[in-house]
Amino acid sequence: MSALISTAVERRPAAIDISRPVLYGFAAVLIVLIVLPMSWLLVYSVTDRTGALTLDNFFRLFSESAFLDPLIATFIIATSSSFFCCAVAAPMGWLVARTDMPVGGVIRVLVTASFVTPPFLGAIAWELLAAPNSGLLNKIFRAVTGAPQEESLFNIYSLGGIIFVVSCYTFPYVFVLVANALDRTPGELEDASSILGGKRWYTARRITIPLVLPALLAGALVAFLQAMTLFGSPAILALPAGFHTMTTKIWSLFQYPPKPELAAAAALPLLLLTIFLLRAEHMILGRRGYSVVGGKYGAPRLIALGRWRWPALALCLVVLLNPVFLPYAALFNAAFAPVASHFLTFSNFTLHNIEFVLFELSATKLALRNTVILGTTTATIGTVLALVIAYVTARKAVPGYRMLGFLATAPIAIPGIVLGVGLFLSYTRPPFILYGTLWILLIAFLTISLPSAYQQLQAAFRNIHPELEDASRILGATRLQALRQITAPLLRTSVIATWCFVFVGVMRELSAAIILFTSETKVISVLIFDLNESGDLGAISVIGIAMLVITFAVVILVNRIPGFGVVGAGRLRT
Amino acid sequence: MRVASVELQNLTKRYGSIAVVDDVSLRIEHGLLVCLLGPSGCGKTTTLRLIAGFVEPTAGEIRVGERLVSSPSHTVPPEQRNMSMIFQSYALWPHMTVTENIVYGLKLRKVDRDTMKKKLDAILSTTRLAPLADRYPGELSGGQQQRVALARALIVEPETLLLDEPLSNLDANLREEMRFEVRRLHDTYRYTTVYVTHDQSEAMTTADVIAVMNAGKIEQAGSPEEIYNRPRSEFVARFIGSSNVVKGKNLDDSRISFAGKPLRVIGAKLSAGGETAVSIRQHDIRISTVAPPQTENVVPATVVRQVFLGGSRDYMVEVADGEQLRVVTSAEESIAQGSAVYLHLPPEHCRALSR
Ligand SMILES: Nc1ncnc2c1ncn2[C@@H]1O[C@H](COP(=O)(O)OP(=O)(O)OP(=O)(O)O)[C@@H](O)[C@H]1O
Ligand SMILES: [Mg+2]
Repeated sequence: MSALISTAVERRPAAIDISRPVLYGFAAVLIVLIVLPMSWLLVYSVTDRTGALTLDNFFRLFSESAFLDPLIATFIIATSSSFFCCAVAAPMGWLVARTDMPVGGVIRVLVTASFVTPPFLGAIAWELLAAPNSGLLNKIFRAVTGAPQEESLFNIYSLGGIIFVVSCYTFPYVFVLVANALDRTPGELEDASSILGGKRWYTARRITIPLVLPALLAGALVAFLQAMTLFGSPAILALPAGFHTMTTKIWSLFQYPPKPELAAAAALPLLLLTIFLLRAEHMILGRRGYSVVGGKYGAPRLIALGRWRWPALALCLVVLLNPVFLPYAALFNAAFAPVASHFLTFSNFTLHNIEFVLFELSATKLALRNTVILGTTTATIGTVLALVIAYVTARKAVPGYRMLGFLATAPIAIPGIVLGVGLFLSYTRPPFILYGTLWILLIAFLTISLPSAYQQLQAAFRNIHPELEDASRILGATRLQALRQITAPLLRTSVIATWCFVFVGVMRELSAAIILFTSETKVISVLIFDLNESGDLGAISVIGIAMLVITFAVVILVNRIPGFGVVGAGRLRT
Repeated sequence: MRVASVELQNLTKRYGSIAVVDDVSLRIEHGLLVCLLGPSGCGKTTTLRLIAGFVEPTAGEIRVGERLVSSPSHTVPPEQRNMSMIFQSYALWPHMTVTENIVYGLKLRKVDRDTMKKKLDAILSTTRLAPLADRYPGELSGGQQQRVALARALIVEPETLLLDEPLSNLDANLREEMRFEVRRLHDTYRYTTVYVTHDQSEAMTTADVIAVMNAGKIEQAGSPEEIYNRPRSEFVARFIGSSNVVKGKNLDDSRISFAGKPLRVIGAKLSAGGETAVSIRQHDIRISTVAPPQTENVVPATVVRQVFLGGSRDYMVEVADGEQLRVVTSAEESIAQGSAVYLHLPPEHCRALSR
């Protein structure tokens, strides 16, 4: 005690709070990341080759059938996939969340599996299954019915085929939104209707369905958006079928001779539509607050399906055949069979494909190296960036924090291919000539992964009481010291998870990389795309399976972190 | 040991157009323990965070000693104020042990190891935490956590200690014990303490000065006796201790009209022709079925409701003009509901309120 009183503690010397300059620096970085490419996109779309102002690009876009047809195709694909996604995902979500259907947890896991499967990989797997001649399903069909060689049951290279494959890997978005909404809807709301005399189906119709309708609508919009901005699946399936979608058209405008001004003009509507749809989704979901008004609720009461329990499960499994079981089986078959389109048996099992990928395919090493370099740097820089911005917005640390948060989430509204075009236009000219280097891909991946990293870390910050930091500051820590000594250790697991997510996201990214790569800066996803063009499906399967294994490992790891789970997985983009 | 006065001058904090803290002026002398007392949402926490420097004032100033620490144009950041704070949530860092939590502030001040050890041992024994030094906060009970928070705040020997409802998470018995602990530590170290609470008895038992806040303003500041015995406003009279507040026309400079009868009151001289609010405590009113000997300040009434509370009895009575009063009596005195009674309101307990 006496020691306490006799030796007065010196007040620490006044340190300059450098947090503000640091924060304004971050804002500047974000503006360069986002605003620069989008500005060039706009500039290119309204100028001609000589730099004169013109609306000619847009005029061509909406008059020439070379552009109108892809526009229409995209619209058809997006609308019908969105419809099919809702039709399949809503009942499944309800079965899993609200009924006593067996093994609902397993169904959720399987949906997550289709969620994290890169859509372009799914598309290639479906080539293996349903290409008119070599497709395994068609072979089975011919073997069973004895139909002639020219006849086939399925043709994946068709509008219908694309809609099918796109839906396979888009329906999880709707499923997750619907199932989460149902999970969050307290059972008492339904009980309240029952106690007033509402029969089971009446209650479902009047209470349950209206409560999840906003989530379903939002899901429909998100599915539309995904289908609209997807590049991989249409590039793999539509081009052989002889037509373009908007994304493949934009890509083709960069093939020789490049027409960047037209690409810019074509990218702009995609951008505007995405922004518009996301606003709409936000508005729809924003009003859902009414479902959790007041009180403390118990777990939802499950509806007994009776003798329909097992048929319901069978239905879910049949649905999941398409995005998960069949494609995975096809990839596995192709990886170990001598020829991708032959059935694997004990006698023809071979490790040739693995050997080929690892030792013979010269491109593998380079692509692998680039992917690892880009993955680690993007994940590291992106996580740090997201961490600081999430801190500032969660703690309202500086005036204008809203702006920073907005900038960090803005890239969510920029489809990968649009970003690719914007970056190409920005960095092929002085003062920053980055095209042909890994830098431009780094910028692209950083921009793409920032929103999800930011959202995850912001959620993590919300779980840390701000008073924990305040306590350290009042004892003499500057803001940065408090961040380093208190908040950082508490956030460690979330930070690791975010890092892994960004890494996996980079590994799967195709639509921006496809515009920005050069022969020296190929990444794995581009390599797969190339191998598909050259028909090396066995090699693709080997790489694809490796990719899936890494992805699953990360998702499983992340799901062990409390409060992270499916929300995080919902943010993986392609 | 340095101690410094804390002075708030016309302190105002607005969020949008709402003044959460509204023109507050208060001078807290060296070494005093001041309670900010008020209902939920009245701006106590905001005032405390203004003093700590987490929030910048919209108008007004805060001085500590001679130093200007907050004004709209310049706010000294919290880490340079040499204050400590105990948060409503305790804000113990879950990833640090009790010891690490406590010595955090000393490490920031680059105190050498020996001194740190001495101070740590001293504070651990004062707060009786020595056996728990290596535990993590998650492994402590609520009361123990609170003592860690106290120890962590005190070891840096702040000039000013701020406490935001530090006892609200504790159960009743522990709360009483910790209340005296807070006071004991304050007496030991004599820093200036600002203590936020909405619990009236907590304020009464610990504070040198109580500042009653309402809607962002300080209604009255003074010693506990002063606040309790001489409330200046209706709000204070109702909030502190359970008072009835009745209103009536002034008859002369010391009587008002209440339920058709004259009521003699004390306090400020009444102005002719005005209306005055008068407070009288529930247990100061006498109730009887027969007319009392006094002639002054006796009002007939009817018992509306009667509740037996074990140690006392709680009556709701209605006087001639329909106004209802609460009266607390000893438990023995039972009068049936609906009975006609006489109320005696002793003039020395009828206090005219200035607001
Ligand atoms: N950052 C803010 N933005 C807007 N309004 C705020 C903010 N902080 C506080 N308020 C408002 O100021 C008012 C006073 O808040 P304060 O936290 O100071 O109350 P309090 O007296 O501590 O209440 P309690 O006893 O419930 O803790 C409340 O109405 C609150 O909604
Ligand atoms: Mg408060």
